[in-house]
Amino acid sequence: MKVISFKNDILPLKDKLFRLALRITRNREEAEDIVQDTLMKIWSQRDNWSKIQNIETFSMTICRNRALDIQQKHERMVVSLDEETHDRPDNATPADEQMIQAQKFGAISKAISQLPEKQRTIIQLRDIEGKPYQEIADIIGISLQDVKVNLFRARQKLKSTIGAEQN
Amino acid sequence: MNYQYIEQLLERYWECQTTIEEEQILRSFFSQPDIPMHLMQYADLFAYEAKEKEESLGEEFDQRILAMIEEKKVVKAKEVKLSTRFAPFFKAAAVVAIALTIGNVAERTLQNNSANDATGSTTVADTYARRGEITAKIRVIDQNKSEAIAKADSVNNQAAGTNQSLVNEEIAETPAE
Repeated sequence: MKVISFKNDILPLKDKLFRLALRITRNREEAEDIVQDTLMKIWSQRDNWSKIQNIETFSMTICRNRALDIQQKHERMVVSLDEETHDRPDNATPADEQMIQAQKFGAISKAISQLPEKQRTIIQLRDIEGKPYQEIADIIGISLQDVKVNLFRARQKLKSTIGAEQN
Repeated sequence: MNYQYIEQLLERYWECQTTIEEEQILRSFFSQPDIPMHLMQYADLFAYEAKEKEESLGEEFDQRILAMIEEKKVVKAKEVKLSTRFAPFFKAAAVVAIALTIGNVAERTLQNNSANDATGSTTVADTYARRGEITAKIRVIDQNKSEAIAKADSVNNQAAGTNQSLVNEEIAETPAE
């Protein structure tokens, strides 16, 4: 089996991990922190690298789980703030970066950011990273069929958004 | 230009029936400048996805991560400091112990060999001496045997003589019929 090098095999995954984290959290700083945490966690498990079948899938899974944890924490904080201030925003506030992109790509960017997390992640992994269905299923921990169903729903949503824009 | 193939691919794309390669063809098609009007509405989607793939972290991030890992490496080295530091001494001690053992065994073997040699020469000398003694004893026995035979002969002769005189006396004593 090939010996895994952190510098040559794991660190170069940083951009893919960053894009995945960014797709989930929609915040650059948080996404960067998530990638850092992910890489440190992978490093701490270096004694087990030889047992890992696909280091990229493994890294993406850790990254997604970390991003979901952060998301959940934020949601809990938003709920507690709501209870205290009763000042609830209309929608989940996208970060500044997302706002800039939203201006440029308008409806597309907004439509993707409003998809449920699973659909958003699948669009990210399939349509942006170009990953096979099986790898996406492995990263998210769902069946191949579920990947296709979620991707179908996401693409249909985007198609209807484009159609609505056109009209 | 006929865009039927692209239209078909696009239809299959929405139905999630395209392969990764076919989706790549769609992306390449929509990244070019000359897109027909009726397909233009989809260009933004693929352009957005292509742009999103360019999101990346800078070189600084790499340096920071590598520095953090170096730090962890140093910490780990400190954790195993004692055993690591003494390892060469243990190795040296093991080598000395092996050398001493081998030396001891070799010395004993040599001593045993020389002792055996000495015992061997004594035994040969003894054997020669004993053989001389035995030969001398055999001679004495031979001599005794000859003397014994001579004595036995003389005793026999005397006995024969006595018998004859006794017979003669009986004849003389027997009355004549």
